[in-house]
Amino acid sequence: MTRASTFALILIALAAQPLFAQGKKDKDRRGFVWDDRPTIVFGKDVKVAVTGRALVEWRWFDPDIGEDLFALRAGRLGVKGELTKHVDWEIEREIGAGDPNKEDSRIEFGDWKDVFVRWRTYDAARVKAGRFKIPFGLEQNTGVSELDFAYRALGSQKIAPGRDTGVMVSGALGRLGYEAGIFDDDGDNAEFSENQFVEEGQDLAHVGPSYAVRVTGDLFRALGVDGRLRSANLGFAYTNADVPEGLNSLRGESFWGTEDFFERVYVKGRRQRFGAQFDWTPGPTSLRAEWMQSREQRKEQSNRNQDLSDFIGNAWYVAGTWFVTGEDKDNNIKIRRPLLKGGPGAIELAARYEQLGFASASKSGTAFTNPRADYLTPNTDSVFTFGVNWITSKWTRVIVNAIHEDFEDATRTPEPGTSSFWSGLVRLNIVF
Amino acid sequence: MRQLIRTGVLLIAFALGLSSPVAAQTSDDLFNPEVLQRIDLWLNDQDWAKLKAAFQENTYYPADMTWNGTTVYNVGIRSRGLGSRSSTKPGLRVDFDRYNGGQHFLGLKSLVLDNLTQDRTGIKETTAMRFFTRLGIIAPRETHTRLYVNGSYAGLYGLVESVDKTMMGRVFGSIGDNVQNDGYLFEYNYVLGSPWRFTYEGSALAPYKARFDIKTNETHAESAIWGPIEELVRLVNDTSSALFEQTIGPKLDLPAFVRYISAQNFIAQNDGFNGYDGMNNFFFYRLENSSKHVFIAWDEDVAFLQPDFGITTRNEDNVLTRKTLELPAYQSQYFSVLSEAAASASDWLRPEMQRQFDMIHNAMLEDTVKPYTNAEYAADRETLLAFPDARITYVRCEVAKQTGATRPSGCQ
Repeated sequence: MTRASTFALILIALAAQPLFAQGKKDKDRRGFVWDDRPTIVFGKDVKVAVTGRALVEWRWFDPDIGEDLFALRAGRLGVKGELTKHVDWEIEREIGAGDPNKEDSRIEFGDWKDVFVRWRTYDAARVKAGRFKIPFGLEQNTGVSELDFAYRALGSQKIAPGRDTGVMVSGALGRLGYEAGIFDDDGDNAEFSENQFVEEGQDLAHVGPSYAVRVTGDLFRALGVDGRLRSANLGFAYTNADVPEGLNSLRGESFWGTEDFFERVYVKGRRQRFGAQFDWTPGPTSLRAEWMQSREQRKEQSNRNQDLSDFIGNAWYVAGTWFVTGEDKDNNIKIRRPLLKGGPGAIELAARYEQLGFASASKSGTAFTNPRADYLTPNTDSVFTFGVNWITSKWTRVIVNAIHEDFEDATRTPEPGTSSFWSGLVRLNIVF
Repeated sequence: MRQLIRTGVLLIAFALGLSSPVAAQTSDDLFNPEVLQRIDLWLNDQDWAKLKAAFQENTYYPADMTWNGTTVYNVGIRSRGLGSRSSTKPGLRVDFDRYNGGQHFLGLKSLVLDNLTQDRTGIKETTAMRFFTRLGIIAPRETHTRLYVNGSYAGLYGLVESVDKTMMGRVFGSIGDNVQNDGYLFEYNYVLGSPWRFTYEGSALAPYKARFDIKTNETHAESAIWGPIEELVRLVNDTSSALFEQTIGPKLDLPAFVRYISAQNFIAQNDGFNGYDGMNNFFFYRLENSSKHVFIAWDEDVAFLQPDFGITTRNEDNVLTRKTLELPAYQSQYFSVLSEAAASASDWLRPEMQRQFDMIHNAMLEDTVKPYTNAEYAADRETLLAFPDARITYVRCEVAKQTGATRPSGCQ
């Protein structure tokens, strides 16, 4: 058994602890307590808690695309706490398990995730500083323990920016929520992955700073509509950043990241993202949808150093879920018949259809895959995901997903010449 | 009057149509050896700088290419070559279909811009290939071109037809509607530090895969691609002289092979099939729906080494050459082709060299990025012009000596 597998089993064993610890939390105690997770309470509003997560997967592919059939998808450890009722903070880091096929594979620390401090005295204006997610994308800003599918939609992974270092103000103004921030770069999902070319004497360029704003609101509640529509939430988001010259655009990766179905193109100038989101959770069901678009300028990027038409990424998805065991889909799912009390746990069916595609604004003449072409040959990945979620406790869930990918351009897929791919997974989520 | 105007317009349109370079152009025009061409490449300044900085990599960059008034857009270019790679004057491969599988130029999928860095005369490669063609040996079409990059002169280049499916179609033609270019085409890969002389390397396909880069049918099973090569090498090594022709003949065009190595010897190519460090510089093609292979000439820019280059140099070293020439008929053909080459060269080779020198002279002198001086070019030019007469005499004398024929006058 590899060390990675051993690590996964240790985390599974750890995850069993909270199951037996349920009901033991005591908010008035000081010292070590179980408050949904191991916590040390120093006093009123001063505490430190340990957080962790492990996502363990078993997968299959048809046709085979060379992916591992087992993966410790993500392991994280962190601490979070409160300094007073005015300030809270969090530090979280990824734990990578080396190559599971090597005998000497080691557990290593990876990227920093959330590292921030937040001043939260006023609901109307909270200030957060550090490294955290840029406010763009409903699903991208949803924690992994609350996702309805094993993986976020492609647009949430490739167009939404993800985490970055910055400062953000957020709050609620009546029925409206807002977030606005300035960030050092343009998010991890837009990070350069190739070495930049610089001639002697030139400095490396970087993206940013970027600006992001998102406004959300309970539309129907604001309009006085009652009933099931009250939980419907609508939002719009926008980001803006300057991107330096180079092969620095966003790109289309296939679902498993094995191949770029749309490789980076040369860009220079402004990168904008536009997003709209809809979230509705009536009773045991939910309906979520997002649309997002990126537009990147390509100033002086033609073969003859002239401006090219904008590079455009489009993504959208519609997802629905239904708790067949009847739980309410709203926040903090309360399992009606917990597994440890003889029940089946909560069982949810889920389905999602999504697309992620890239193309140029120009559609005239002949299309080329050349990263400096004015009219770029478009390519879109259309994905169906069907899932069953078995929520066994507040901290654990088993996700079964079947995924069908279909590419518009069969020459740019994980296996050129084949346009459709099936894959599936069984994942154990452990989050505390 | 109206009729007169209409007729006039039609005549003008007809004349314009006739004079249109697009209508008249073919790949034969592009590779016309009588013409010093001009090719313009247009690519982003950043990309040209990157290509030159990373000249050892095979990274493609997009470009537009103009020739004779016709522009083909969004081609892919990359640095190419082995010992000829250069950061100041990169050898280039131009792929017309790199970014759009359906884009061809004059029916070509690609071409090569040879930077001529290893040949200070600039004409060895083009002369050798023209000479091979005269002798009926499969060789790419070639001429010279001035290359301009973003409007600036980037040097004198050889303009070389790619050895690819398109060329196979040109060479082997069609049977009915079926173009005979679906065979297996290999480029011989000289493995540094591992000279090879057709010795059997075992039944595993890996050694043959390392030496023969597949250029067509790449997705086929390895056994289908390299299995026949392993079998050919094994049979060449294991078959006795008595059975050699009937065993090897169906798998290798032996007369064509002998013609190829004989002609290569005539031009004193020291880095060819019977090269100083093993085999080098050729393509190998298994004909469509056949087990028979043929050799295709490639990269002769270090030919014309010296007039007294021995006419049987290293023939004993290479297993295929040795065992083929052990058969009297092929040995006789070998010397016969040498004599034929001498005869063909006697009234052609020197005038052809002179013609090519005259054609490229100004372009060579104006080429400031070549890795040799104009004085070195002038010296090598004179040496090369002296080659034909001396070589013809030497070969005739040596063939007579080898075959027992009457030695011509002038022999030492």
